[in-house]
Amino acid sequence: MINRQCSMLILCALLAGCDNSESTTIAEQIGPHPKLDKASAFLLPPISVPSKVDWAQGQTPHPSAGLKIESIAQGLAHPRMVYRLPNNDILVAESNAPGSEAVTTPKQLISGLVKKDSGKGGKGGNRITLLRKDAAGHWQKYPFILNLNSPFGMMLLGQSLYVADADALLVFPYQTGDTAIDATQGKRLADLPSTINHHWTKSLTASPDGRHLYVGIGSNSNITENGLEAEYRRAAILEIDRQSGASRIYASGLRNPTGVAFDPATQQLWTIVNERDEIGANLVPDYLTQVKEGAFYGWPYSYYGQHVDRRVQPPAPDKVASAVAPDYALSSHVAPLGIQFAQGSHLPGFGQDGLFISEHGSWNRKPLNGYRVSYVQFSQGKPVGQPRTVVDGFVSDDQKTIFGAPVGLTLDNQGALIIADDVGNQVWRVSAAP
Amino acid sequence: MSSVTQLRSPSRLAIFLVNLLNPAAYGAFVAGFCFDVIYFTTQEIFWIKGASWLNFFGLLFAILPRLINLYQVWVSHSVSPLLAARRSFWLNALAIIVAIFNAFVHSRDAWGVMPAGLVLSGVTVALLVLAVLNDALSTPRQQQETL
Repeated sequence: MINRQCSMLILCALLAGCDNSESTTIAEQIGPHPKLDKASAFLLPPISVPSKVDWAQGQTPHPSAGLKIESIAQGLAHPRMVYRLPNNDILVAESNAPGSEAVTTPKQLISGLVKKDSGKGGKGGNRITLLRKDAAGHWQKYPFILNLNSPFGMMLLGQSLYVADADALLVFPYQTGDTAIDATQGKRLADLPSTINHHWTKSLTASPDGRHLYVGIGSNSNITENGLEAEYRRAAILEIDRQSGASRIYASGLRNPTGVAFDPATQQLWTIVNERDEIGANLVPDYLTQVKEGAFYGWPYSYYGQHVDRRVQPPAPDKVASAVAPDYALSSHVAPLGIQFAQGSHLPGFGQDGLFISEHGSWNRKPLNGYRVSYVQFSQGKPVGQPRTVVDGFVSDDQKTIFGAPVGLTLDNQGALIIADDVGNQVWRVSAAP
Repeated sequence: MSSVTQLRSPSRLAIFLVNLLNPAAYGAFVAGFCFDVIYFTTQEIFWIKGASWLNFFGLLFAILPRLINLYQVWVSHSVSPLLAARRSFWLNALAIIVAIFNAFVHSRDAWGVMPAGLVLSGVTVALLVLAVLNDALSTPRQQQETL
């Protein structure tokens, strides 16, 4: 009997430790100084994903006032990234996880099934498709590069098209007007970390002078549950010399830097980062930050400067002491996956000196967070104020159904915003309403 | 001993399944506890992943013998309805409930499992040991071979 009472006491204590209720508002978690909840452990793993339903004919996400939206490509295989070429052709990287992560815990078995239901587990095309507007104004699809390995980042420098596969940075010869490139013409400029590939996306940009490429490499775990040795050259932005392919770690401690871009106004490198999960519905806010050379941003040991994550053992107090806090919090679990500076955009109501962020959307909190494209205003080279919604309506009002989720962003030559939707398998174009 | 003569004898299949699966579940939980102790002392991820699977398989193996035991103790009365049998039932049932909570705790990442996971693994094993002890003390020696 004493044993029974003992166990019940322990169970009650565990239950009490599992409080996922909202104590911090989302607005309070946004900006340079987010309010951070106390970290808590869960009892039931927090999983909350709506079920996927295809976009109905004519159904679209909702653009904000003064804007219109149209679908320019349908039936794609998990379109992730979009990139505009100088002649206004649009490249779409169709990919999903390379499937190289073994199931090593019972939790992975279960969560794999849940993600499938939300459409986020769809199989990727492992190819790049080119979209071109014909004379009649219809967008045509061309199979551009096939047989890739989970491609994500794309960047054209001169006549060299760089593609960041899940395991390598490739370079292809490109002539203006090409609608197909033979995959065998690709050269491997640099190997990228590819073991496990828990976070597999390799985001890509180039320095304004074109000498260096920057590749965002996500961590190999949520919070070191695959061992610290799996994190070699992970959770970092690599700087790669364009001529030699030599690389070094430019900044570290960035858990999953899914987008990298240079601010055309200040020539500074910025990134969006997906922060750690499972210590609360309001922890840890994902963020946008300028990337300082050589800086350490905390992962895995701490977040937002010196907030220690006890799940990492052994601890590293000296690393924590050196951790830099990011510039601008986007609130928890929004999953930012696309970044596009607004210079050159033509969207009434939104400026030229901010940036657009696609918030792919949460899978582990209620109510949902994200599932929209937002605009963050910059002032004197720094983000200010609250983000404003550019496009939402990717989930139903009751949050039970998901139609789409925004990922990659780019601008076409008319200043319209192009959005890859990897759940609805479409590409959307947002422009000024007539 | 009049109550003994009224017992219906449990089916051979039930005896076979219980004898087959119960030790597997017990062994998995004990090994899981050992793995937790090693993770707690070494902080080496390998051990905590192993512990999660051992607890997971322990639960899987435990389902059938616990259902058979539930039926025997409360429905068919094919085992002695004495206090000892009920005590054994409750000790085993509690161990399984704790192990279910433990499976959730073990789904946390890295050191997030600790120390709750270690405590729950220990409690699971302790309850099972008490159940074994209870059975050993309460079963007359000549009956031990049949059940």
